[in-house]
Parts: sequence; structure tokens; C-alpha cells
Amino acid sequence: MTHKRWITALFAVFFAIGQAAASAGAPTPMQTVKERIDQIIAVLNDPQYHAPAKKEVQRDKIWEISKSMFDFTEISRRTVGPKWNSFTDAEKSRFTDVFAQFLGNTYIDKMQGEYHNEQVEYLQEIVKEPQALVRTQLKRENTALPLDYRMRQTQDGWKIYDILVENGVSIVQNYRVQFQSILQKETPAQLIARLEVKLKEQGSQLGQ
Amino acid sequence: MLLEDNTDWTSQSNEDIYTVADPLEKFNRGVFYFNDKLYFWVMKPVAQGYKFILQPPARTGIKNFFYNVTAPIRIVNNILQGKGLSAEAEWARFLYNTTIGVLGFGNPAGKIAELNPPEEDMGQTLAGYGLGDGFYLVWPVLGPSTLRDSVGMVGDRFLNPVGFVERWQDSLALSATNEINNLSFRIGDYESLKNAALDPYESFRNAYIQLRQSKIRQ
Repeated sequence: MTHKRWITALFAVFFAIGQAAASAGAPTPMQTVKERIDQIIAVLNDPQYHAPAKKEVQRDKIWEISKSMFDFTEISRRTVGPKWNSFTDAEKSRFTDVFAQFLGNTYIDKMQGEYHNEQVEYLQEIVKEPQALVRTQLKRENTALPLDYRMRQTQDGWKIYDILVENGVSIVQNYRVQFQSILQKETPAQLIARLEVKLKEQGSQLGQ
Repeated sequence: MLLEDNTDWTSQSNEDIYTVADPLEKFNRGVFYFNDKLYFWVMKPVAQGYKFILQPPARTGIKNFFYNVTAPIRIVNNILQGKGLSAEAEWARFLYNTTIGVLGFGNPAGKIAELNPPEEDMGQTLAGYGLGDGFYLVWPVLGPSTLRDSVGMVGDRFLNPVGFVERWQDSLALSATNEINNLSFRIGDYESLKNAALDPYESFRNAYIQLRQSKIRQ
């Protein structure tokens, strides 16, 4: 065997190892989102959850998967806005907890109610460390709903901190204006209490 | 484009929310309440009955027809905004769907990305000319708007062939059919958005303003 061949072979091996290490080491923002969404769709399609009695098991399963996609502390900080600093540490963690559950209930309920084999198309990934934007489209028969994920780099990988609907309607901003108007008249504790009431309402609707 | 604009999406600041004045908030909240009741008591049951009677292909055909017939609104506003390529695309789409799509009931152009430019209306055109939103307004039946978008809505009505139907009763009936038909595709969306909000009025106002801003940018 000639030297040339050996060198080519060695290069090929190193290149392959390098590639594998790079993709195994740190999934890109789009890979992170896609992996989770694929898992969620698998649960939504799984016939074992299609009986009405299994809805709650399915919900918990989806919540388990989706929880790790999000940075709920960052989401809470951003939705509350400048008033975040007037929250005590206990209020901050309580708020984050309740708001995360509220978002989970609201959107998982919608997914369970309305998912009919829509396809997710992954369009583009724009990375500007430590932030990134993953652009996707939810395809129904005739329409496509643009959904973009704003993400940031954390110690546990890329996490979502905002979702943009229809090319730029920010969910975080929508909650921020609501929370700001409530916090103009009420204390952080009262805002948390309002969220807890909402959670209870959701709980009783789910029980039906 | 907005999302590639670094300053926008990586911004950490809390103060850069675009808002529109709402001096008529008391009145608007009243109309919002009225529209909410109108939805649950009238619009939703009617749309549900309609949906029950008409099969999905028929409803899709009607939706396509109204979208095709309102092509003049989109063509003229593209021209007014200097978007020549999009105007041509809308024109080509209209010709294609009117002929191959049989008077616009079919939507063969839907599969061709180049023939589906973003929807333009007069509110966006006026915004492009530098006209601000003015203030927020909620119309009975028609829902959220702003002063500028309301002026645009009136302008667009003059470009809408449905507005030129001889008897005003027929014109109104056609518009109502279009509304109910469209609603039949998204029954439940209003409820979801409302349930996701702590203050539905604030939430819908912000969603409308954000959506319009996003359309103006496109």
C-alpha cells in the first residue's frame, strides 16, 4: 500500500471521528428543538393514549418531554419585565413554578385537542451565541403557521425563552403587557394568586 | 427581515415594546365585551351549524373563492407599496386560479410558493407612507383595529368586488357568508386565546398590534 493511500485513510478516520464528536457533543439549537418535538408528536400519535381516560397520562408525558426545552426562569424574568426586581426570591421561584404550569396546561391542552397529523417543517437556524432563532412552520392541509423559537445557551444546552407566532408575534411580550398592567395596581403576591386561580380553573376543566 | 435583525431579537431591554395609545379604552372594552357575547351567542353557533351542513371541500372552495375575488385589494396595495414583483404574483395567481381553478373555487396556485406573496392591505400601505396607528379601536363585529387600519379598511372596501354587488342586502349577505365560512375553519381559536390570557382585553390588543407590525415589516 502506498503512503498516499494511508494518509487518505487516516484523514478519513479523523474526519469521521471529528464529525461524530461534534454532533454528539453539542446539539445545535435546531437539533435540540427537533428532537423534543419529534418525541412529542410520537406521544400525540401513540394509539395507547387515544382513550379519553388516558388523556391525563398523555399530558404528563408531554409535559415531561417539553419541560426541558424551556428556560422558565428566563421566561418569567422577561414576562414580568422591569418589576422582576421587586419580587422577593420566594416570589420569583413561586411565580416561575406557577407560570410554567399554567403555560404547560394551556398549550398542551391545545395540542391534545387539535393535533391532526400536522407536519413540522424546520426552515432555518440563526445562531448568534449565546442566542439563536429556530424557524419552523406548522403545516396543515392548506395553511402554514410560522412558529419561531428564540433560544439561549445555558449550562444544560439550548433552551427556549420565547416563541414567535406568525412571523413576529411574541408570546412573552403578550404576557408582559398583561402582567405590567396588573402589577401597576397589584402586588407580586396578588399576581401569583391570580395565576393560581387560573391553574385551579384549568384543573377543574381537565377533570371533566 | 425582522428576525435576522440582530438588534431586535437579541435585545435584552425591557422598554422597547411598541404600543398604541388607547384613549377610548372604556368604550373599546365595552365593544370587546359585546363582541365576546356575540361570538358565543350568535357567531359560534351559526358557524357550527354551517360547518355541520357543508362538507369541508365546499367550505374550502368558498374560502378560496372569496380570497380570489379580493385579489384587487392585494394587487393595488402591492403597487401602492412599490412591490412590483408581488403585484405580478398576485395578478398571475388570480388569472391561474380563475381559469384552471374554475372561478377561484380551486386553489391550484397554492402549491406554487412564488404565487403566494404576503397579503397586503391598505392599512399596511398607509403605514408604509409613514402614517402612524393613531389609536386603538375595537369595532362591533369586525373586532380590533386602529384609526389608520380603519381608514385602510374603508379604502379596501372600494377595491373589494363584493362591495359593488347591486343591492346592499346582497353585498352584506355575501360578506357575512365569507365571515361565517372563515370562522368555520377556526372555531375554538378564540376560546384558546382567551383562556391563555389573564387579561383578555390587553392580550388581544397586544396581539393585534404585534401582528400588524409583523405584517407591515413584510
